[in-house]
Amino acid sequence: MKLIEALEILRGEHPVPGQPLQVSLITGFTPLHFQTFLAAHLRILFFGRQANMTQGLYGNFWGSLAQLSQSSPDAAVILMEWSDLDPRLGLRNLGSWAPGELDDILLTAKARVAQFQECLPGCAARFPVALSFPTLPFPPAAYTPAWKTSAFEAELRACISSMRLSAVGLPNVHIASAQQLELLSPLNSRLDVKSELASGFPYRLPHASALAEIVARLIQQPTPKKGLITDLDDTLWSGILGEVGIDGVSWDLEHHSHMHGVYQRMLHALSEAGVLLGAASKNDTEFVREALQKKDLVLPGSSIFPVEAHWSPKSESVARILKTWNVGSDSIVFVDDSPMELAEVKAAHPQVECILFPKDDPQAIHDLLYRLRDLFGKRFLTEEDGIRRESIRRFSELQREEGSPAKTTDGFLRQAEAELTLDCQKDPLDPRALELINKTNQFNLNGRRFTDVSWLNCIRQPDTFLWMASYRDKYGPLGKIAVLAGRQEGRALYVNVWVMSCRAFSRAIEHRCIEELFERHGLEEIVFDFEATSKNGPLQEFLEEILGEPPTPQCILSRARFEQRRVPTFHKVLELNNG
Amino acid sequence: MDELQVRLVRCFAAVFPSLPSDRMATAQSSSVEGWDSVASVTLLAMVEEEFGIEIDVQGMEELLSFEKLLAYLRQKLGKSR
Repeated sequence: MKLIEALEILRGEHPVPGQPLQVSLITGFTPLHFQTFLAAHLRILFFGRQANMTQGLYGNFWGSLAQLSQSSPDAAVILMEWSDLDPRLGLRNLGSWAPGELDDILLTAKARVAQFQECLPGCAARFPVALSFPTLPFPPAAYTPAWKTSAFEAELRACISSMRLSAVGLPNVHIASAQQLELLSPLNSRLDVKSELASGFPYRLPHASALAEIVARLIQQPTPKKGLITDLDDTLWSGILGEVGIDGVSWDLEHHSHMHGVYQRMLHALSEAGVLLGAASKNDTEFVREALQKKDLVLPGSSIFPVEAHWSPKSESVARILKTWNVGSDSIVFVDDSPMELAEVKAAHPQVECILFPKDDPQAIHDLLYRLRDLFGKRFLTEEDGIRRESIRRFSELQREEGSPAKTTDGFLRQAEAELTLDCQKDPLDPRALELINKTNQFNLNGRRFTDVSWLNCIRQPDTFLWMASYRDKYGPLGKIAVLAGRQEGRALYVNVWVMSCRAFSRAIEHRCIEELFERHGLEEIVFDFEATSKNGPLQEFLEEILGEPPTPQCILSRARFEQRRVPTFHKVLELNNG
Repeated sequence: MDELQVRLVRCFAAVFPSLPSDRMATAQSSSVEGWDSVASVTLLAMVEEEFGIEIDVQGMEELLSFEKLLAYLRQKLGKSR
């Protein structure tokens, strides 16, 4: 992004209504154009929301950091540069670089490490922190030539490593990737000496823009994709199964097809991190079944479910996989080596991200792995990530055995030995709740999303209740699948958050949740802060079913009406905590 | 208005969004509201980026009007061609 484009974004269209995003910017330098770029990138990533920035005084990095823990922004951005470890490492300070002084600089830097490690946890406990360690070239403060790492430089870099290591494990702290920055902004194109001297802003504009883009992503944390559908021939493996046979396909160095193995390794890692994997292949069904049983596959065939192998159009395969996974088409990625197949799928499912597998270009396959990492990257792994694939497979198999149905029968539910666990604990707050709220589309009361801070503010109100529901039955656990939040006034309950994972549909969990709300809170009515979205059809259908009419904003469900229209439920309900 | 002027007007419009277009050509730091040192640094950084030039430090202190910037650009770009 160029500076003129950033300003035009900020001064063009009016920001969308709503609370501006409050961002505290902690730097030792004048943030000038970085601030402009960051505001512009945030405006884009937050779909027009305005970002208000506060900044500390020039040269007062540590004072600003100390004050930060007393404030309550939506997010903080901390940009540390070498001169923040000791001003003598900066250009605008003429403190000595004489060999005899270097130990003293190191002493100061080590004290700063301790200060940093003391300050940061307090901030991260209250709001998300985007953090960047020195991005500018190491200053020429050493008596060794530049091609040789000096002990002084090694020790200072160890200080940075020590801070990075202590920060990376803190929840809510997100550290800019030095490697990603290097790709966008080469080290020798970052420092602007003239600007540093003239205005105290040390970055060249392209560097400021690149760093701002990365930092904005750390703050926004895009919703990861949920599933990947891969082609098989000349994608998952090299060779056409129907031509070379099961023993003819390969993914190894010997057959010059090693990058297919690397692709499999990436998919295996994604699968183990909870990403759903499916296959769409124009192939003989039996051939594919056998091929996926090969023991030497880097990605075990059992990791892929479902497998659509036949001669029908791939758009139909994708549609069936989406139905099995019960996810929206905007949540998945389709990878194929054929531009024609990609175009056919894209035409039928415009929201699917279609990516060409560059089968003859090892470098491009390597680049593709980075792209997949970005598309599926998540902040942390949850227990649900480990059981998602199996729970979908089991439910799908059960539906097939039952010969049916969109809505599972009473008979099935009665014998399922279902157990619903309600966790009412607000402190410590389970991060899974916010993750579920921000990624659930179909069974979502109003589609409202929260930032870390707005969620904390909402939930920490003393009169707010929070339920996180986990489910298991004799077929296995689904993990934490629903979140309900709201507040009680007398015998009425105002529910403003209600989401449920699509994996938990058809188990009458939503009915049981309402029943438990009425019983446990002694209610006469529940008021739903409902809002129709383009994606919450399943939630709308449910509300219509129990209300007897299409839902409207602030619709009210009375106990009597619920008793009339509820379906039988057979869950055993456990409660973890009274919160 | 030639291409150089059009591009410079776009820079001014980005930095001074409330400056009417008919006052652009006569704009100078003493008469434009909001033309402070930060606006100057922003405007000159943008001009450098837009026109692919480096403005020397002395120039930074003198280029305080649309007219002077335009003349500077004509001279600088003319020389480099």
